[in-house]
Amino acid sequence: MTLEVQNLHVRTEEREILHGVDLVVRKGETHALMGPNGSGKSTLANTLMGNPSYEVTEGRILLNGEDLTEADPDERARAGLFMAFQYPATIPGVSVANFMRMAVNAKREEPIKVKEFGAMLKENMDLLKISRDFTSRYLNEGFSGGEKKRAEILQLAMLQPEFAVLDETDSGLDIDALRIVSEGVNAMRGEDRGFLIITHYTRILSYVKPDFVHILINGKIVREGGSELADELEEKGYEFVREAVAANGA
Amino acid sequence: MAPSFVEDRRRAALEVFESQDVPTWRRSGFWTTSLRGLELDSLEPKRYEPGLPPLDLGDDAHSALIVQRGANVVHTDLNEEGIVVMPLEQAVEEHPELVQEHFGKRLPIDDGKFAAGTAAFWTGGVFIHVPKHTCVEKPIQVVWLIDEPGTAQWAHTLVVIGEHAEVRIREFFLGGDFEGQALHAGAFELYAGTGAQVDLAHYQDWGRGEVFDLSTRRVEVGRDARVKWVPIHLGGHLTKQTLDIITAEPGSDMRHTGMYFTERDEHLDLFTTDRHEAGHTTGDTVWKGALTGESRASYEGLIHIIPKATEVDTYLQTHSMLLSPKAKGDAIPSLIVEVDNVKASHGGTVGELDPDQIFYMMTRGISRAEAVRVLVEGYFEEVIMRLDDPGLEELVRRRISEKLAGAEDQVREFIGERAEAS
Repeated sequence: MTLEVQNLHVRTEEREILHGVDLVVRKGETHALMGPNGSGKSTLANTLMGNPSYEVTEGRILLNGEDLTEADPDERARAGLFMAFQYPATIPGVSVANFMRMAVNAKREEPIKVKEFGAMLKENMDLLKISRDFTSRYLNEGFSGGEKKRAEILQLAMLQPEFAVLDETDSGLDIDALRIVSEGVNAMRGEDRGFLIITHYTRILSYVKPDFVHILINGKIVREGGSELADELEEKGYEFVREAVAANGA
Repeated sequence: MAPSFVEDRRRAALEVFESQDVPTWRRSGFWTTSLRGLELDSLEPKRYEPGLPPLDLGDDAHSALIVQRGANVVHTDLNEEGIVVMPLEQAVEEHPELVQEHFGKRLPIDDGKFAAGTAAFWTGGVFIHVPKHTCVEKPIQVVWLIDEPGTAQWAHTLVVIGEHAEVRIREFFLGGDFEGQALHAGAFELYAGTGAQVDLAHYQDWGRGEVFDLSTRRVEVGRDARVKWVPIHLGGHLTKQTLDIITAEPGSDMRHTGMYFTERDEHLDLFTTDRHEAGHTTGDTVWKGALTGESRASYEGLIHIIPKATEVDTYLQTHSMLLSPKAKGDAIPSLIVEVDNVKASHGGTVGELDPDQIFYMMTRGISRAEAVRVLVEGYFEEVIMRLDDPGLEELVRRRISEKLAGAEDQVREFIGERAEAS
């Protein structure tokens, strides 16, 4: 069971951003995709979920062998794909609890029973140390950066997707929040789930240890390796990778 | 024979009506409200036998229910002692002094052709009196029904709320999906006495019939009284309304929260005034609209603070949301302040659904249609919850959801275009 990206070329109105990305995430694996600002990390995340602002001009996205390249975002979600947003949208007038219920029910034939939903929500909120009054607030309205990220991870925990993409989930989190969120993610890891953690910095990777690391620069994956690659990056920085790539290419 | 104050007013109003042409309302820009299509001469006041027609009012519980169908009241049900709810025709006979004291006080007959027409031709009518210190728990429901083409309904509702009384009033304007024209020319006036607490809602859903609604509604808030007014507009072929709320004495407070949803080729023209005639009064006006199809909706909201009304604190906000490429909307707040030392602010926006919000919801497995429904409902929620009436709230949500389902294809197309353009 895999999430597979084949030779993906993606453009916006203005220009091509991804120039042929290949990536395979198997269930049970945690991958880190790292790169400097502007390298195309968020473009990849958004394209995986089917954001209509990005156009795939070449290549494919496969989930368990099924081609999702042209699928609507809701189909992808129901097929088992999830993304935790870097900047989640505000949904005025819809409480966290109601939103969660809608999302949970979207994947089910029969709507979830009130009691079962309540128990599930409580369990996951405890895991992420989220206070009770949180659920009656409108989703992301007036939330701090940390609250938004926790609400994203809460959705991840509630929806139990097969593959989860975390887009810069560590940005804007203080050290305590980062630890709580990381513990939440670790609790979700297992044989039946794959993760793609997109990040600029290595700090989340000291809590959530990746099995594989990919480095994306200027819309192409330029280096791949195990978790030791993140350590090397921490030590030497992106400039080092850029130089090495330039030297190889020459 | 009705008392002379009624007959005199009718005669004077008839002169005004006959001396004026059918108006066309123009404003700068694209906006014109024209009655060119209205065939006034083909409409007549239709009378009906008594009887309660089937109605969906969200909630059947009421302290009183009065229903006017066409030109006459067909049903009155009063379950509360001490209050008066009856046809206005009957009230001028049975409560002439009370009626005369208030009747037309805020509704001059020379306020345009149709205001004059209403003053001249009204039949049936509704009178509500809640005496001082009376607290009515269940709502008083008033229904104006037009269910046949060719109907002219000249309507007048007079509401008098005594000192320190508390009441909830819901007035419904309901039509059928008939083919052909009808007219509702309405006058509504409400006087809230000292310290009264009034929770007022108007619910308009004329249906698909070609109903022209030309109405004026005025609410006067007395000393230390508080009126919460929630007008809900869910449809009508052409609506031209003036809605004014007047904080007339010190300490009076108004909350005016309205919404509209237009579809097909509907035309809605609303003008509201938050008028402060005394110092130390407070106001809060929020109007929200959404437009589908090729509909046109214009909302203009004025805050008017007259000289001597110092220490006023008020604001007005209006938002309009386009859900179709062919709809056109206006949201115009304005301000006339003739005195220093007041707090008054206003703002207006015309916008669209945010494609980022829709994408976000879809990544959670929610379909596009459901996402749009939830976002539009969420947008209106601020208004709907002000109804503070679960049955009616549910009715409004259900109607919005039905209308959105009907417009699903155009909304989808519109959102798709916008997302690709962004």
